[in-house]
Amino acid sequence: MTPTQASRRQFLKLLGAGAGAAAATRLDGPSASAQATGPVKIGVLTIRAGVAAPVGAAGLRATEWWAERVNNAGGILGRPVQLIVEEESNPKDTVERYRKLVLQDKVEVVLGGISTGVTLALGPVAEDLGTPWLSWDGTTQKGIEETMPNPKWAFKSVDNEVEAIVAGILTPKYFKSIKTVAGIGNDYSYGHDCWESYQAVLRRYVPDVKFVLELFPKLGVTDFTSHIAAIQQSKADLLMCSFWSGDATIIMKQAAAVGLFKTMKGVFTTGGGVHDSLKKEFTPEGLLLGYNTMYFDDPKASALLKQFVREYKAKYNEYPPYECDHAFFNAESYKVAVEKAAGPAKKWPDKAQVVRALEGLEIESLSGKRSWREDHVQMCNFYQGITTHKNGYDFVTISPIEVVSTKQAMKPAGSKLFEWINGWKV
Amino acid sequence: MQKIFNLACGSFYALGAYVGVSAVGWYVDAGGPPALFIVPLALAGLAVGAVGVVVERGLLRFVYDRDETFQLLMTFAIVLMMEDAIRLTWGTAPRSTAGLYLVYGQVRLFGATVPVYNLIVIAASLAIALAIGWLLTRTAFGRIIRATADNREMAEALGVDMRRVYAKVFTLGTALGTLGGALVIPATAAMSEMGIELIVEAFAVVVIGGLGSMRGAFVGALVVGVLRSIAISVYPELEMLLIYLIVIAVLVARPRGLFGGATA
Repeated sequence: MTPTQASRRQFLKLLGAGAGAAAATRLDGPSASAQATGPVKIGVLTIRAGVAAPVGAAGLRATEWWAERVNNAGGILGRPVQLIVEEESNPKDTVERYRKLVLQDKVEVVLGGISTGVTLALGPVAEDLGTPWLSWDGTTQKGIEETMPNPKWAFKSVDNEVEAIVAGILTPKYFKSIKTVAGIGNDYSYGHDCWESYQAVLRRYVPDVKFVLELFPKLGVTDFTSHIAAIQQSKADLLMCSFWSGDATIIMKQAAAVGLFKTMKGVFTTGGGVHDSLKKEFTPEGLLLGYNTMYFDDPKASALLKQFVREYKAKYNEYPPYECDHAFFNAESYKVAVEKAAGPAKKWPDKAQVVRALEGLEIESLSGKRSWREDHVQMCNFYQGITTHKNGYDFVTISPIEVVSTKQAMKPAGSKLFEWINGWKV
Repeated sequence: MQKIFNLACGSFYALGAYVGVSAVGWYVDAGGPPALFIVPLALAGLAVGAVGVVVERGLLRFVYDRDETFQLLMTFAIVLMMEDAIRLTWGTAPRSTAGLYLVYGQVRLFGATVPVYNLIVIAASLAIALAIGWLLTRTAFGRIIRATADNREMAEALGVDMRRVYAKVFTLGTALGTLGGALVIPATAAMSEMGIELIVEAFAVVVIGGLGSMRGAFVGALVVGVLRSIAISVYPELEMLLIYLIVIAVLVARPRGLFGGATA
């Protein structure tokens, strides 16, 4: 290589580096010091297409409501909040968008994640990128096993199977003579895990219970006529259903059309998160119905929840589902953690300081007090109860209301689910 | 007849479902008697079938003579666009006609409780199938359709205006899809991705019955529906497997499908 060539190459390299640096400067936007005074960029991952879109929309709406509220009150440590929303779709694409939020948009925190199929992949990426990630509804469980017991940056949702465990605890309380049970859930990890957990819990309370049928239609099915016929044939005393999207309403309607619940008790662990579509015309009284972590019509609701429900109904003409509570909790806990880590000097903390402040933090969410366990898992209450028509709506609500804490219904950090359930003193 | 494998037929079905829900909503809000809700439902389902003219004249006519892959891509693009259009118009939450499904009550048939609405839909399906059969075999338009399907150049040479025939046939097909979507919706709920769900099963139906055969589609639909129900009752794990085993068996033993002898 001649000196001339070398110098030309060096020159080109320098030129390239300079152009790259200039491009990077343009892409980066404000410098680090400017960012500490500019808006707080918050990445939001949500599902806006497909069967889980209503869930994603609810989470995003609550996050937007939170952001508006925070900005009206002066922001976080005086900095306004700016949401940068990206789509949650399949794991590969969502991971790319997550990287984009952290590396290109340079967000301070990423909120969101609904499907555990996706968040299972996000967890390790969040750890690599060193930015706090607070998941709305997704965990890093593979089935019922935790894959990230000691995360540094990832904060996960409640274990997927908790609502089935709560339903298992409440079933013998309300349906005392149950001997045979049929189950229906979506044909993927959540549906199967809920069914396994529910069986394990119910066996503890009713040792001679028999599980006579299990059906797992795929997600997105809209005709359950044949499934309902099979459930009728099974002559079970009770049907347990863990549907968590619009399919809960569909099966309820199609079941009512053949009078299924005239002879059978029913447990709907989440009611699809579309509770205001469970109309009285086809949803009977006397079913056990879950609302996950937030019950919009809670007579003991805080002023915050009442305001949220009122404004949500006014804006969207719907009643808010549980995903709003997950999303609000994530966003609000981040704000409180930043303020806590800032200390009396109110100096903007670095990301690691925020993470430390989040660990064990308890705050007031829409549904009441919620906290982060030391191993970065959400702690909260679950609301379930018996369906009633005695209300001012055209859909069912629940009365009495049972409130079960994750302290009772979620496996402790580091334990095995079925060993833990089998060790209960019943 | 048009020699196009239209992936967007499921989207028309979804569109009919959403328009049906909206029409029934307006009807109920306007104080219409619940027992007659099926009238606005069916009319709305049929009327929105007019979108077929727009799709055929605006898009499909440009790809009739193109490679099949191109046609598939074009109709798949329509699927994606319509799914987004539905989401923009009706939102992401499932839409339903609440409890109107139960307004006609139930009857006991062979020891089972059957919603009367289901019987109405079955009767409507049979009536539509018979009407299509009559149209194809007993009318001049039906003869033109069959002649065109058999030999397009010959039909054209004999003076058939192919543009009009294609537009009419495609619109008729679209209207059947949208009407089907509207009629099924009281028993279920409209979801934006329901079109894609349907197309997979429809694929099994036409492969079993035979591409391009009306009788084949009828029999294929019955085979898929009955087999699914039996599988769910007897051995639920086999629900989907059984259908596709039949599809494979038909493809191997009789690649044209049960009724696919003709090239129509």
